[in-house]
Amino acid sequence: MGLAGLNGDGAAAGGGAPVRRILALGGHDFTSRPPDRAVCELLLRLASERGGERPRICILPTASGDTSDQIGRFYGAFGERPCEPSDVSLFRLGRRPMALHDHLLAQDLIYVGGGSLVNLLAVWDAHDIASILSLAWRRGIVLAGQSAGAMCWFEAGITKSSGKAREAAGLGMLAGSLCVHYNNEPDRRAAYLEAVADGMPPGYGLDDYAGLLWEGEGSPAAVTARRGARAYRVSTRDDEVNESPLPARFLPAPAPAALREDIAEFRRIKTMRKRAGWLG
Amino acid sequence: MESGNPLLDDYVLGLTRAERPRVCFLPSASGDADHYIVRFYRAFSAHRCEATHISLFRREQGPEDLRRHLLSQDLIYVGGGSVVSLLGVWRAHGIDAILREAWEAGVVLCGLSAGSLCWFAEAVTGFHGAPKRLDGLGLLPFSNCVHYERGGSRREAYHRFLLEGMRGGYAAEDGAALHFTGTELSRVVASRPQARGYRLDVAGRRVVEMRIATTFLGDRGVELARPVPEALSTAVAA
Repeated sequence: MGLAGLNGDGAAAGGGAPVRRILALGGHDFTSRPPDRAVCELLLRLASERGGERPRICILPTASGDTSDQIGRFYGAFGERPCEPSDVSLFRLGRRPMALHDHLLAQDLIYVGGGSLVNLLAVWDAHDIASILSLAWRRGIVLAGQSAGAMCWFEAGITKSSGKAREAAGLGMLAGSLCVHYNNEPDRRAAYLEAVADGMPPGYGLDDYAGLLWEGEGSPAAVTARRGARAYRVSTRDDEVNESPLPARFLPAPAPAALREDIAEFRRIKTMRKRAGWLG
Repeated sequence: MESGNPLLDDYVLGLTRAERPRVCFLPSASGDADHYIVRFYRAFSAHRCEATHISLFRREQGPEDLRRHLLSQDLIYVGGGSVVSLLGVWRAHGIDAILREAWEAGVVLCGLSAGSLCWFAEAVTGFHGAPKRLDGLGLLPFSNCVHYERGGSRREAYHRFLLEGMRGGYAAEDGAALHFTGTELSRVVASRPQARGYRLDVAGRRVVEMRIATTFLGDRGVELARPVPEALSTAVAA
């Protein structure tokens, strides 16, 4: 398997320190398309390994400014699954107060949505969220995220928070740097390779639908939910920047949720018509 | 941007003395909420001003040179929400320094709730949980408390903070606006007949709350064109 945590328990046996886990994703959405379903399945599985049958999964949509769109898509993906989804929207606390510390530390998986990396860290800093996340990580709560929500765990990332692609600092829980949307946004990859050549700590590049899973110490395991989507190790040697794809485990998409009856009916009729030669 | 009540919007537009003022909305405290931006464009419609907004969560849209854009405005309007998040995001993008520069250049700065607190040296925020003390940008060397209603938790907390050493300052009830020219209070105006502004200080070991004469903008015969003391710059906090 190559992914220890997909088999084992989140906490080390024998009461030792919990295994620290972070899943960094290069980019995905919460749609019903197969690769998005595969990513959700992995998130759910990681959460279940810690939290059992109904794990708690919380989204931090801070990087988007807590948009209803991002929050809605998250609930769309997890609302009907065996878990307890919730959101911590720092911009909406006025209308919906919550005990941030207690709520976040009661989760099995904390998912950070995409958006502006610079704003994400600035707002977290203002609300003192980083220390809570660091504690959550040390307690074995899975930390995950895509795009800005993936780069935030590293020392640095390549952000477009100011328009153009440029370097920005992260929380530094993982050593090195990360560049997301790697081959999907060539300008971002170019800015990354240039920054690494100029002294930015090297690290990883992640295409959309590729991910890296850290479990405890050591190297991460690469996963991919779409054929051709890859994770890269970006390193320097003798002033040269090297980029090498990492072998990745393919995440198959689970069967889609039961289709709504009317859509299923429509598809049946369409298939029948096709068979009968009514449609091209 | 009170719904159905344009009195304060009209008032701040009047302060610019421009025929077609350039107005930029900063909705950062709301996380750049779409519905809030729509409300701004409705309140500051194209027939009376040239309205724009800056979304710091979506920098790929909107003006690239923030400083240039903000310094070219007649009025900068800061929306409400979380003042803690607001200041965090502003600092990350260097907006705090640009706003000071705009203020010194005579651009009218205004805002409500979090958009009022931000201009002061100290503020009382009650956005989330129990009211807390917070440092603002410090353009105005006072403290500030908004939503200052009788019996409200903010009022009580403000008095406590003052006794604990917070500098004196100004409070505004909903609908009241504190109009400063430079760092001096010029007047208090209101969009609601009962709304008032207050001056707060500590004398001995007591909080002294002084109600400030407030002009209701809806009264007939209110002389809006009355010149305010010659402006270095103006800030209006509602």
